[in-house]
Amino acid sequence: MYANIALGVLSSLPTAITGTNRLIVDIAMFFGLLVIVAMALNFQYGNAGIPNMGCAVQVIVGAFSVSSIVMRVMFTVVAAAGVPLTDWNNDFNWVYANPANVGLVNQYIKTNAMMGVAFFLFSIAVAVVLGSLMGYLLALPAIRLRATYLMIVLITMADASQIIGRNVVFISGGTLGVWIPNVFAWYPGDVGVISAVVTLLLGLISFFVFRTMLNSPYGRLMRSMRENEVTLASVGKNVVGIRRNILMFASGITAIAGVMNCYYLQFSAESGYQRAYWTYWPWLMLILGGPGNNAGTFLGAALIIALRRVIIVFKFEIQQFFFFPIAYMEDIILGGLLVFVMIFRPNGLIPEKLLYIPGVNYTKMIKEDVKVDWRAAPKSRAKKEAKK
Amino acid sequence: MDLTILFMAITYASELTLLSIGFTLTYLTAKIPNFAHGTYAGYGIYVTYTFAKFFGISPYYGLPVAFLVGGLISVIVFKLVISTLGKMGSGAIVLTIATLAIQIFLGAILYIYAYAFIAFFKQYATGFMLKDWDFKIGDVSGIFFVSIGISLITVIALHYLLTKTKLGIAMRATAEDPELSSVLGINTTNVQTFSWFLTGGLACLAGSLMPLWFQCSPMTGSGIITSIMAGSLLGGFESVYGAIIGGFTIGMAEVLLTLAGQLVIGNWFGEYRPLIPMAFLIIVLLIEPRGLQGFYENWQKRKVAPKPKEPEAKEAKK
Repeated sequence: MYANIALGVLSSLPTAITGTNRLIVDIAMFFGLLVIVAMALNFQYGNAGIPNMGCAVQVIVGAFSVSSIVMRVMFTVVAAAGVPLTDWNNDFNWVYANPANVGLVNQYIKTNAMMGVAFFLFSIAVAVVLGSLMGYLLALPAIRLRATYLMIVLITMADASQIIGRNVVFISGGTLGVWIPNVFAWYPGDVGVISAVVTLLLGLISFFVFRTMLNSPYGRLMRSMRENEVTLASVGKNVVGIRRNILMFASGITAIAGVMNCYYLQFSAESGYQRAYWTYWPWLMLILGGPGNNAGTFLGAALIIALRRVIIVFKFEIQQFFFFPIAYMEDIILGGLLVFVMIFRPNGLIPEKLLYIPGVNYTKMIKEDVKVDWRAAPKSRAKKEAKK
Repeated sequence: MDLTILFMAITYASELTLLSIGFTLTYLTAKIPNFAHGTYAGYGIYVTYTFAKFFGISPYYGLPVAFLVGGLISVIVFKLVISTLGKMGSGAIVLTIATLAIQIFLGAILYIYAYAFIAFFKQYATGFMLKDWDFKIGDVSGIFFVSIGISLITVIALHYLLTKTKLGIAMRATAEDPELSSVLGINTTNVQTFSWFLTGGLACLAGSLMPLWFQCSPMTGSGIITSIMAGSLLGGFESVYGAIIGGFTIGMAEVLLTLAGQLVIGNWFGEYRPLIPMAFLIIVLLIEPRGLQGFYENWQKRKVAPKPKEPEAKEAKK
């Protein structure tokens, strides 16, 4: 059985990806997606102390940038290459002719692999830029105020973005949603496998980016801001500016998750980006794993995603024991879990560790510092000087 | 245009006032925005539903029950989660996220309750309106008078409680500084529990009035939280009197501006109704983060301008 799974995942033949193998690909994909969001959240909340309750907005920006901007660019380029696409200029045609157009674009990408890669890179770039811009806009009303105001603004923005996406057909096809061209059509195997691999790779890259930033002087600045803002401001640092920069940077990274979600599902609709899903779960993963370290985020994301996906896949087997939809059972379990973890393991499964700075042994320094009695030290030095 | 829409706006606004007062009281006691506050209203909706559809009597008998149910849920939430986490020294951010978890938890329980009606009693319970169960005075539904009456009574009773009784003064003192008031002999835990009971009860009471005019579902309670926060923020977030004005303003604005938009711009504007409180929220934060309370305090300062003290100083020298 395991050999079969390994074969399915590695060889990625379309026929091999069924049943349990599909579940594993699915778990890997959603682990990749949510680990990006949770790591960005860890960067903001765990290390800089910014309570970002608007992860859903940042993800939705990535998804909407694909469905509204990148897809139009794709259609324009492909139409210029001579493929007879149906007219897509007004709102009705945009949704109505969408499946046929997407099919033609997929056939074009199948023969022109380089164009597929170019479209993919372009969409990532657009998402990062628009995500950062969104981070700036999100920061505008409440970044100077108390954390409570920031939370309120961000949590309402998540609902607002969904309402706008639902009613403006131009953005994401309104309530019907739109199909997204498959930029990995040139790959002979399964689309799910390649997008999962690419997402995990992007997650790995963003992990190294975040780690480098945390181990740099800027990371220490962030941690000092989390501990005490007033002190940092008194040293002459621009606290508001630092906070805004961090929010913008993390927004850009989070938007990549929205892009990859679009390419995995090959479909985009506003109903897929609910606040409960994309804001609450990253927070649950972060609190479960332990805020402030990436290892905890990985562990939390893996646990929650495995639980979620297993419930979804075995939905019909479990459903017969309940009279209500199983999704609400899941809400009760996950909602209760967060409070449970907060009360019984306030530091998470893996507590925060000290930052790694090459050449500095923090643990040793702290041990030595405890031994030195700082109150007595100046006096004893004064006595020594007096004896001399 | 007849006056029905105005009555509807006033009904909605008075219900929102009750919710905003509760939200502000929670913020004063625990220093956190309680995202689960709207979900308490959802429980009120289902108390009314149970009284009408299960017991088959007028839903107005359910109002005291709704108050008690909401208070009980709120006290359980406070004792089990907020108080426990507060004693452990968790910050405001952690507590707020805990309320988000509670919102999801309580919302799921409400859905299960609704689905139990569907499964066991074969009654449609996930989207309903109980306007038929209401009485009528002339052409106007009774809920208009009841909701206005209840919110007026609540405002007057709350004013009396907070200014004239010992318990209310203790509540204000605890909100101001828990440590100092405990030094003065106030049992802060009991006072906080009472405030949470009051907030939950008021929220549930407001919710129980809703299905008599508006279409309700288990989602209604969680969906209204933006309007509640906007009302509370417009009032200044730390002032109960501000919350009364703020909640009423947001409620009226939400209904009347939607109507105005539909008449002037086009019918599609109705879809954007939830954006109106959000717009208020952001505008208030950009102009004066402390809301009406901030404006009031600035006005007071200007009114009582500090007089130059030079003559007194000269007299003292003499």
